[in-house]
Amino acid sequence: MALLEIQGLTQRFGGLQALTDFSIDIGDHDLVGLIGPNGAGKTTVFNLVSGFYTPSAGSIKFAGTPTRGLKPHQVTALSLARTFQNIRLWPDMTVLDNIRLARYHRLGYTFLDAILRTRLYRAAERMAERRAMDILERMDMLDYAQDLPKNLPYGLQRRVEVARALATRPKLLLLDEPAAGLNSADVDDLIRYIRWVYDEFNISIWMIEHQMKVVMSLCQRLMVINFGQTIAKGSPLEIQSNPDVISAYLGDDVI
Amino acid sequence: MQRRTLNIIFFLAAVALVVAAQAGLLDNYTLTILMFMGINCMFAASLNLVNGYMGEFSCGHAGFMCVGAYVGSLMSVGLFTSSKLFGAPLLPPELAPFLFPLVLLAATLVSALFGLIVALPSFHTRDDYLAIITIAANYIIISIVENIDAIGGPRGFSGMKKTINAMHGVIDIPWMLIWVIISTVVCITVLYRLVTSTYGKGISAVCQNEVAAEIMGVNTNRVKIMAFMVSSGMAGLSGALYAHVYGYVNAQAFNILKSTEGLVMVYLGGMGSLSGVLLAAIVFTLLIEMLRFFIPMLNDALHALSLLPADLEVSQIWKWVIIPLVLILLMQFRPEGFFGNRELTHIFPRLRRWIYFR
Repeated sequence: MALLEIQGLTQRFGGLQALTDFSIDIGDHDLVGLIGPNGAGKTTVFNLVSGFYTPSAGSIKFAGTPTRGLKPHQVTALSLARTFQNIRLWPDMTVLDNIRLARYHRLGYTFLDAILRTRLYRAAERMAERRAMDILERMDMLDYAQDLPKNLPYGLQRRVEVARALATRPKLLLLDEPAAGLNSADVDDLIRYIRWVYDEFNISIWMIEHQMKVVMSLCQRLMVINFGQTIAKGSPLEIQSNPDVISAYLGDDVI
Repeated sequence: MQRRTLNIIFFLAAVALVVAAQAGLLDNYTLTILMFMGINCMFAASLNLVNGYMGEFSCGHAGFMCVGAYVGSLMSVGLFTSSKLFGAPLLPPELAPFLFPLVLLAATLVSALFGLIVALPSFHTRDDYLAIITIAANYIIISIVENIDAIGGPRGFSGMKKTINAMHGVIDIPWMLIWVIISTVVCITVLYRLVTSTYGKGISAVCQNEVAAEIMGVNTNRVKIMAFMVSSGMAGLSGALYAHVYGYVNAQAFNILKSTEGLVMVYLGGMGSLSGVLLAAIVFTLLIEMLRFFIPMLNDALHALSLLPADLEVSQIWKWVIIPLVLILLMQFRPEGFFGNRELTHIFPRLRRWIYFR
């Protein structure tokens, strides 16, 4: 059984058909890319999968559970995590708190426990703290634990965001344009970093990316969409020479 | 050990205060001001949970105070005193000092439920639009109370002094001061423990990036309900105490001007700073009391200097010019308040030996 099964996913916003009949299976320890020109509907796919939109048609199953009608936080609890195209950290909380809060849905204590500081509360807080420190240590970011994300350089903020997503202990991690805004040296670092995350945490990764270098060197499989339609799928090599993809990216008249 | 020292100091100070009041060292006026400091601390600190930590702009906080004031008053009058409205007391008045906490608890819970008026729209609305809803909620509550003639309508409601007299009849100690101190300590402890727990930091997460909060597994709707209910519940508690300290309530005492007082205290202290807001509440209470003397002085001075025609008076109404003016000046020159969203310990690191904010 695939980890994520999407069948015939369609999304309409009023009169706009943002996504048409999109299907994909993502297995355990898979690394898949989703590419396409601007406005092709890539982020719409991610928003549908993570529960921000309810699809107009089609089905999404994550780890065998249909996610229709679930709120994003409930989808996260099914062990799916994502990052955003524009970084969405909590800028005025320390890096440690950012990571610690990723355990929110696993805290397991109530309002009263927090107020009365019960044993359950103390155990859960210790656990959250230890898990957060573990993640930071594994990702070699202990030095930044007490820094505020807004004071960190951009590339590092991206890493904190990935670390925070990993702290929810996902089986599938969605990365929305992780290389956006990075220079070419940073991009090389990022490629190594994603590969390392992929191996170290033994998860599946599905990424949206514009930079061909990133998807070509990382992904085992690629999907290309344009105007909401799937125009190609296959290995990076096949995609590179696919005439439909070239025309989607470069325009028809070039060919 | 040292962190406990602070608690002990506070405890001793509270006991000293009660003993001093009992011994008659403090006159009634001073006592009333001290109690209003406590009430304002609760009112402002609870508003800070929504406006500071959650980043929403609630400007109808006094509405919930009104709910608490009326629920507390009606219960205490109905339970412990004979009144025209309820007839004979439902319980022997001798129980008043022991059951009064239940009255306060009921006022808190009912106000917390009223908090849902604002919490539920907040799922889909935020910022300015939610602010408008909070004002509407404030007016809805006041209008409802004013239009129930049985509880006095616009004339207000009184009789709570009898409950207090019943308490004094059992043991003659400064009961209201004790209740205000206990309630203030409970409120501040609850807020402190809430905002320093990972659970409570969900509130700040919603403030700083709601989409990220939702995707990282925070049930944002539940966080909003929790924050609004805790906030309005505490406002209700402060209202119930207010009603008993005054011995009289009137819905118009909880109109938008009262809400504005809350806003001034929060923005004076610094949004998202618990210690800042408490300090601001104390300073603000003193400031308002000083105006009571300052305005007549100003009036006399202006007349003496013949700067003001004899038939014009500078009255206490000018309080309502000066308070909003403080807000305007604050926004102009120090929009982050005394402390910004930092705590006392960030500004005076040595205090960390005594108290610790995470």
